[in-house]
Amino acid sequence: MTGISRTWWKTTTGLVLTALMLFPVYWMINVSFTRDQDMRKSPPALFPVHGTLEGYRAVLDQQLPYLGTSLVIGLGTVLLTVALAAPAGYALAKLRPRGGGLLSFLFLVAQMIPGIIMAMGFYAIYLQLGLLQSVPGLIVADSTLAVPFAVLIFTAFMSGVPGELLQAAQMDGAGPLRTFRSVVLPMSRNAVVTVSLFAFLWSWSDFVFASTLAGGGAHEPITLGIYHYIGNNNQEWNAIMATAVVASLPAAVILVLAQRYVAAGVTAGAVKD
Amino acid sequence: MNRPTGRRITAAALTVIAVATGTTACSSGGSTSAKDEGSSTYTIWDPYPQFAKDSAWAKLLDGCGTKAGVKVKRTAFDTSDLTNKALLAAQQNNSPDVLIVDNPVVSTLAEAGVLTTTDDTKLDTSTVDPNLLAAGQSGGKTYGTPIGANTLALYYNKDVLKKAGVDVASVKDWKSLTAALAKVKKAGKKGITFSAIGTEEGSFQFLPWFWGSGAKLTELDSAQGVSALKLWTDWLKKDYAPNSVINNTQTTSWQEFASGDYAFAENGTWQLANAEKAGFDYGVLPIPAAGGGNAAAPTGGEFVTMPVQGDTGRYATTQKLVSCLTSTDNLYATDTTLSYVAPTAAVQDKQVASDAKLKPWVEAVKAAKGRTSDDLGTKYPKISEQMWKAVQTALSGAKSPKDALASAQAAAK
Amino acid sequence: MKQTTHPPDPRLLDRAGAATAAPPPVRTASRRRRRPRSRQWAAWAFLAPVTLYLALFYAYPLYRNLDLSLRNYTVRSFVQGDAPFTGLANYRKVFDDPTFGPALTHTVVFTAVCLLFQYAIGLALAVFFNQNFKLSATLRALFLVPWLLPLIVSASTWSWMLNSDSGVVNSLLGAIGIGPVNWLTSPEWSLTSVIIANIWIGVPFNLVVLYSGLQSIPTSLYEAAALDGASAWRRFWSITFPLLRPVSAITLLLGLVYTLKVFDIIWIMTKGGPADSSTTFATWSYRLGFGNLLPAFGPGAAVGNLLVVAALVFGLVYLRVQRKQALS
Repeated sequence: MTGISRTWWKTTTGLVLTALMLFPVYWMINVSFTRDQDMRKSPPALFPVHGTLEGYRAVLDQQLPYLGTSLVIGLGTVLLTVALAAPAGYALAKLRPRGGGLLSFLFLVAQMIPGIIMAMGFYAIYLQLGLLQSVPGLIVADSTLAVPFAVLIFTAFMSGVPGELLQAAQMDGAGPLRTFRSVVLPMSRNAVVTVSLFAFLWSWSDFVFASTLAGGGAHEPITLGIYHYIGNNNQEWNAIMATAVVASLPAAVILVLAQRYVAAGVTAGAVKD
Repeated sequence: MNRPTGRRITAAALTVIAVATGTTACSSGGSTSAKDEGSSTYTIWDPYPQFAKDSAWAKLLDGCGTKAGVKVKRTAFDTSDLTNKALLAAQQNNSPDVLIVDNPVVSTLAEAGVLTTTDDTKLDTSTVDPNLLAAGQSGGKTYGTPIGANTLALYYNKDVLKKAGVDVASVKDWKSLTAALAKVKKAGKKGITFSAIGTEEGSFQFLPWFWGSGAKLTELDSAQGVSALKLWTDWLKKDYAPNSVINNTQTTSWQEFASGDYAFAENGTWQLANAEKAGFDYGVLPIPAAGGGNAAAPTGGEFVTMPVQGDTGRYATTQKLVSCLTSTDNLYATDTTLSYVAPTAAVQDKQVASDAKLKPWVEAVKAAKGRTSDDLGTKYPKISEQMWKAVQTALSGAKSPKDALASAQAAAK
Repeated sequence: MKQTTHPPDPRLLDRAGAATAAPPPVRTASRRRRRPRSRQWAAWAFLAPVTLYLALFYAYPLYRNLDLSLRNYTVRSFVQGDAPFTGLANYRKVFDDPTFGPALTHTVVFTAVCLLFQYAIGLALAVFFNQNFKLSATLRALFLVPWLLPLIVSASTWSWMLNSDSGVVNSLLGAIGIGPVNWLTSPEWSLTSVIIANIWIGVPFNLVVLYSGLQSIPTSLYEAAALDGASAWRRFWSITFPLLRPVSAITLLLGLVYTLKVFDIIWIMTKGGPADSSTTFATWSYRLGFGNLLPAFGPGAAVGNLLVVAALVFGLVYLRVQRKQALS
């Protein structure tokens, strides 16, 4: 069979494409090992020849607690986003509520509000509620980055669920909630994973909310940790890049695992028509 | 009524409530507002996130709190974020008791009515160098006291100059500096690097040349002003300065100098520690004015201010805190860690006595000028924005220096 | 939408549900036979959390942004909260600004080019990764890594690579004999540079969403087409592309909204310069409101609202298309 040689060829192409895509990431890693005096060498060194671990030393000394906070916030955001958006997507896609179109429309508009204006609004609200510098507060704020997206994505995906399946469930005496839980949700697994991924990524890399709402608190996410190396007149670039590398490692592992999970679900033939 | 549906709705609604209350319930524990921790806690905001909880700076704040008989809660913010944060907090009546901000921001915050004057709070500023204090004054009132100052000068690489056959003593005015750059280029090295980025940093770096030409900020397009911008533009055209300066921050520009290829770099006091690490012999030279002598450089560094509070009874304690922070001993310690020049003569002497390398910097700071001085106040930010735009426009070749400054002047008015 | 608070008392739950399901029950039942009452109830029960959420967290900021743009805010009146109402004066000011024309052009070019390339590259990659080959899942996951980096880091890395003098891109170009390009510092190239960086950042999003869309297309369709002897190219255009339409539409719409909004990348790489050559509405809005020692909140918010209006228009177009599709 020619199958093997053909997949081999595809794997190579895939590797090349990925390498191209990740070149900037490599460059960041390169800088994280570079000594101060070599940072702007011309022409630049493609490998950190006179590498230094200075950046990493600073990061490992100071940044690990921030990673934990970011992880908690990321997972919290994922849960909240899916819990809010999945039922909404189902209703908009399948139950045809009156005013549903208007609602999707509002979500679209909501996404256009500049992050910094959102953050100013949250600041005023949280100050009244005493939620400033709290982890749950930041989770709710970060979820606003993902919820409108999630609702629209769930709507788009769930409208693809065949109507006959829902009718069959209804015939069996299942109400909307049961239909949702045992038919629609399992069939929308891809959407759930997609939404979760982005909800996680957005909250992981959020800076505006973190800085306005959590700045100076006991629990700061990793994006604020980076600012330890950005002073008034001076930036320690190897430490900044090292923080980014250290910060993306655990998240990268999560990503790869999540992708495995999707792939496994698909090949197991999860739900087919 | 359709019963099953009803129950389902109840269940759905229950989840709503659970979600809604769940999020608020777990967070009601930690109260975080600046004021609700009682009158014995005083809040301090500073732009020094690089100092962790166990740093000397944090300990100094705690110590001053203990002396004043109160607890201090310190929060460090990113500088670029602090102005907005301070305005937002003031709008919500949540200002900190002590606010340490970059000096050109003081006049903006004062204009907003966020800051108290030193008359209100009886803060003594008599020992502070008047040229430094001026950055925190507007309309005849003083809105804080500097914690330290820095300014710009020219660092030079002795090895590069030697190879190019340039005697640094010959660099006295723009003409001799340009001649030196030409020699350096001929020797196969690079001339000078600076930062002309499209932010306040760019204006900060251009000002010594602008002032050194004899120009005034109220008239950007004067013949002198144009000559300053022409100086920079010509350097770029002749390749004495790299094209990347248009996008350089002061850090990037420093990294270029640290590569050892450049003869000169315009940079600040704060790079002293890095200069020691650079691995080549360096010197420091005041920025020359157009026709000789030293140009006035702008002052950098932060001010300690006391924002307006609803409860004016707090000022007395806050004043104690600020006085403690700016006492001679503490200023010495703080300015050493920040690599700043102290704002009072007594501490400056102490600094020079312990580190002779600081001497040219102390002199530079004494000759320096606040950006918002000359009673420009909140007019400065507008002028500055047009100025950095004009610099970028001219350096990138989009317009001639003259046209760029002419449209800047028109827009700044 | 009218509802802003939810009574926590469990006894009121039923009624709360009814209130959320806004349409008066009696009339609904008699007039709308196609939409049974119980179903309406259920629908709005599913929508209640998110509606509440929308009202709680978006209404106020949206109102704020509108209010900021209609008043003459100085720093003083921002703090004291007594800015005089000036109607559309801020908008007039923005329209008359010499930056308006270039910013509009740049926004249109930036958005259109980014969207086109992100979608095309994303779709091509999604189709490619949809074939099962060794490492496909892992490589696909790695494509997401750029998203893990805080924007300040990825944008700084790009400006590092594109630096005129010490950047790796110019050094590689030099190796093949092309002279240095002033990517970030010349008015001719700056917009191209930020577009390249933004495409790079946007590709993973398109890839993931479109890939998930591909996964929902039943494989039996392809098998049948293959039996009919349809070529891969044919299968793509007659099966993949049409069936992917709803997901494509939403991807493009979201991409549009996100691209219109992009400011961090441009801000970090070029600050919109030099000489406004890479200024878009988003960076202009930020520069007016926050990029200066003396913030001009009013005009900043006005520019921001112009973007909201642009998104509104495209949202309407989307709804129109969607409705047409639903009817057909």
